Amino acid sequence: MRVGLFIPCYVDAAFPQIGVASWKVLRHLGIDVTYPKGQTCCGQPMANGGFENKAVPLAVKFEKLFRDYDYVVTPSVSCAAFVRVNYPNLVKEECLTASKAMDIVEFLHDVVKPVGPLGSFPYKVSIHNSCHGVRELGLSSPSECNIPQFNKIKDLLLLKEGIKVVEPERKDECCGFGGLFSMEEKAVSEQMGADKIRRHAATGAQIVTGPDASCLMHLSASAKRLGINIGFKHVVEILAEGL
Amino acid sequence: MSTAHSKKASAFLKNKDYTAWHDGTFWSVREKRDRMAAGLPEWEQLRDKASAIKRHTLSHLADYLEEFASNAEKNGVIVHWAADAGEFNAIVLEILRAHGVRKMVKSKSMLTEECGMNPFLEAHGIEVVETDLGERIIQLKGQKPSHIVMPAIHLSHDDVGRLFEEKGISDDIGNHDPTYLTWRARLSLRGEFLSAEAGMTGANFGIASTGDIVVCTNEGNADMSTSCPKLHIAAIGLEKIIPNYDSLAVFQRMLCRAGTGQPTTTYTSHFRGPRPGGEMHIVLVDNGRSSWLSDEDHRETLKCIRCGSCMNTCPVYRRSGGFSYSYFIPGPIGINLGMLRSPKDHSGNLSACTLCLSCQSVCPVKVNLGDQIYRWRQQLRDFGTYNMGKKMLSDTLSLGYGNKGLYDTATALFPAANIIPESVIPFRLRFPKKPFHSLIKELEDE
Amino acid sequence: MSSREDILARCRAAEPENYEMPVLDDIQAIKYNDTQKQFISMSEAVGGKVVLLEERSVDELVRELFPQASQIASNLPEVTIATLNPDIVQEAGDLDGTDVGIIRGSFGVAENGCIWIPQTMKEKAVCFISENLVILLPKDRIVNNMHEAYREIEFGPYPYGTFISGPSKTADIAQVLVMGAQAARSVTVVLV
Repeated sequence: MRVGLFIPCYVDAAFPQIGVASWKVLRHLGIDVTYPKGQTCCGQPMANGGFENKAVPLAVKFEKLFRDYDYVVTPSVSCAAFVRVNYPNLVKEECLTASKAMDIVEFLHDVVKPVGPLGSFPYKVSIHNSCHGVRELGLSSPSECNIPQFNKIKDLLLLKEGIKVVEPERKDECCGFGGLFSMEEKAVSEQMGADKIRRHAATGAQIVTGPDASCLMHLSASAKRLGINIGFKHVVEILAEGL
Repeated sequence: MSTAHSKKASAFLKNKDYTAWHDGTFWSVREKRDRMAAGLPEWEQLRDKASAIKRHTLSHLADYLEEFASNAEKNGVIVHWAADAGEFNAIVLEILRAHGVRKMVKSKSMLTEECGMNPFLEAHGIEVVETDLGERIIQLKGQKPSHIVMPAIHLSHDDVGRLFEEKGISDDIGNHDPTYLTWRARLSLRGEFLSAEAGMTGANFGIASTGDIVVCTNEGNADMSTSCPKLHIAAIGLEKIIPNYDSLAVFQRMLCRAGTGQPTTTYTSHFRGPRPGGEMHIVLVDNGRSSWLSDEDHRETLKCIRCGSCMNTCPVYRRSGGFSYSYFIPGPIGINLGMLRSPKDHSGNLSACTLCLSCQSVCPVKVNLGDQIYRWRQQLRDFGTYNMGKKMLSDTLSLGYGNKGLYDTATALFPAANIIPESVIPFRLRFPKKPFHSLIKELEDE
Repeated sequence: MSSREDILARCRAAEPENYEMPVLDDIQAIKYNDTQKQFISMSEAVGGKVVLLEERSVDELVRELFPQASQIASNLPEVTIATLNPDIVQEAGDLDGTDVGIIRGSFGVAENGCIWIPQTMKEKAVCFISENLVILLPKDRIVNNMHEAYREIEFGPYPYGTFISGPSKTADIAQVLVMGAQAARSVTVVLV
């Protein structure tokens, strides 16, 4: 099984530690992982803003870079969802990467199925269930639906020794980032971020964790604005601790 | 970067207490819906069936319309067909004139709002009295509805109390207790029902196999509107037709559970024909629906049963209110219906969405509301109504991401952006010295 | 071309390819061990009241429940205390001021406290205009859910029927729930 690691643009530039953690965890679990050079962006920001045509060359490039791997794994649910849902439309010829793209949480949970314990992390964490993860990738049961409850993020986190895992009220309400939404609807975006971080803080957790750094980044800005003292770590960063 | 919606939303959000109340009120309706859904093990199965029934019906809409009209006519109902809003209004006016009607009572109908019927009739000297309490309140206040199920939700009980005092509906000045105000409205409307010469209803469903129309209310105002005056006019959009009673059971069970978190509306009334000594008319209204039917990307919108659950769950609607949207129907379904009505007038609503997809997860008929908003955003390019700022940003991103050399240079320079204040870039981006694609070399060597 | 022909032609041209009508018999609709118990529980939850007739006559029960009532409207043969008959009144408006309207329901629905009421009187206003509504319901005719209900409904001599669940209500003023909007302010279901 050969895995191609996709590190999205904003993770590459602003949160490389998430890339490092992803690499570390996959290698620790014995995965044959490669980081193909020349990758940049999946095209989501332009497409969600209405410029899908701008994403096409990026999709074509992505397809070329990753098509020969068995899985394309990325520490970003929004990117994984974008590739899975939209690439077949954007890459006109047969698109192989769409069905191979997985966010790292679902890849670990569904394919690798690691057994614990996976290092120590004696802290209380509040899960931020990013929307693309919940409603496009099926990382957890959406609170709207009457289906058996599950949460893959929680399952993985519980492999850490000493960890305490909680979820906030309104457990999968959107944080309000939404990419270009945060600029176009700044006031609503800020209110949503403020409401969400308050709910996370109300759980008493020391750290907010989730499968998407863009949500965490938005919540971190909200926390700073409100003077709320709480930490932020991507799920894969927590998994990598103590390995 | 701002839009018609974002400007109004920004003003709405200035009142923090009101925003918190508005958000909390609609979230609690969403929670009630959740409890209803959890109480029926077959909930998700019902959603699948409802979506499939609607898709089937829409794929044979002409046949079902003919069957419906034919059965209604056999029952002694006079059936009219209105190609557009103008024709609908003209048909209604003609019926009312033929019967010498000076006052008509009506129960709730979003369709009549869509056609601008009330102002049209009033301009022709016919008094129209809304009898749904929420609709009556905003009629008296001269406002538009802020929600399709709870149209007066934006008003406090003091607002309503003062309005009723001003209009002479209540006489205990200063008594703004909702129970008292509701009783005074009841007395006032009782007089209207008894003196009106015609009653108009909308229709939640039209049953093809029997020719019935079905009207669901909690107040009983559709039944009062049709029990006193002898002339009944029912307005129904083409897409409200469903095949038979077996189908109806699926929708009736979900409509109120989804919309208000109750197991049923108080009244689920079947109107099959005219009252003794009376007349019943049904007006089937197109007004764009037949052309939406041909739109592959957006015909799913026709499945909508107008329950309102999408706006209750929408985190943006809850924090911006109905009046932030330019179309008279707000929230996810309103964004979509507005675009179908007029992209030019309503594309300013497209920003009001983070694509969280909660709306399509609650929708009882599985309209893909968020997916369609995404599609409309792509189409903005063709309409020429896209946001210039957004386009420039997207162009810049594409340029950077498309060119590896440029990208590497840009990311190397990003740390310089650390000094840019947050008021300029609204999210907290701190750029580390080395991006991942530089760090990887060390990792591979390990 | 008339609007009718025009609309039908446009729909025919626009219709997507055939979607089959789904099978509905396989819906695993909720069922109850004790439909009467569930019906009573739901009726009360929606603000209605349920009483058993037992040995009393309907007249006696109504006098007991509404001792102050002066105007009683009904066309039911077993009600002898009616002061108004919805079959005989000139206008629906003549029923305004009715304290108690007494009508018959065909069957009840356990999942939501609904009662199917086909119109069996000239003026159906009696069902809505009365301040208090009394509905006689055969206690062994309670179905589980609306799927079963819609297989059972029948119409009387008039082209109208309705499911009624509890009293008329609204929460349109500041989300405060108030019983008695435009129709009955109270509903009493009498299980006979």
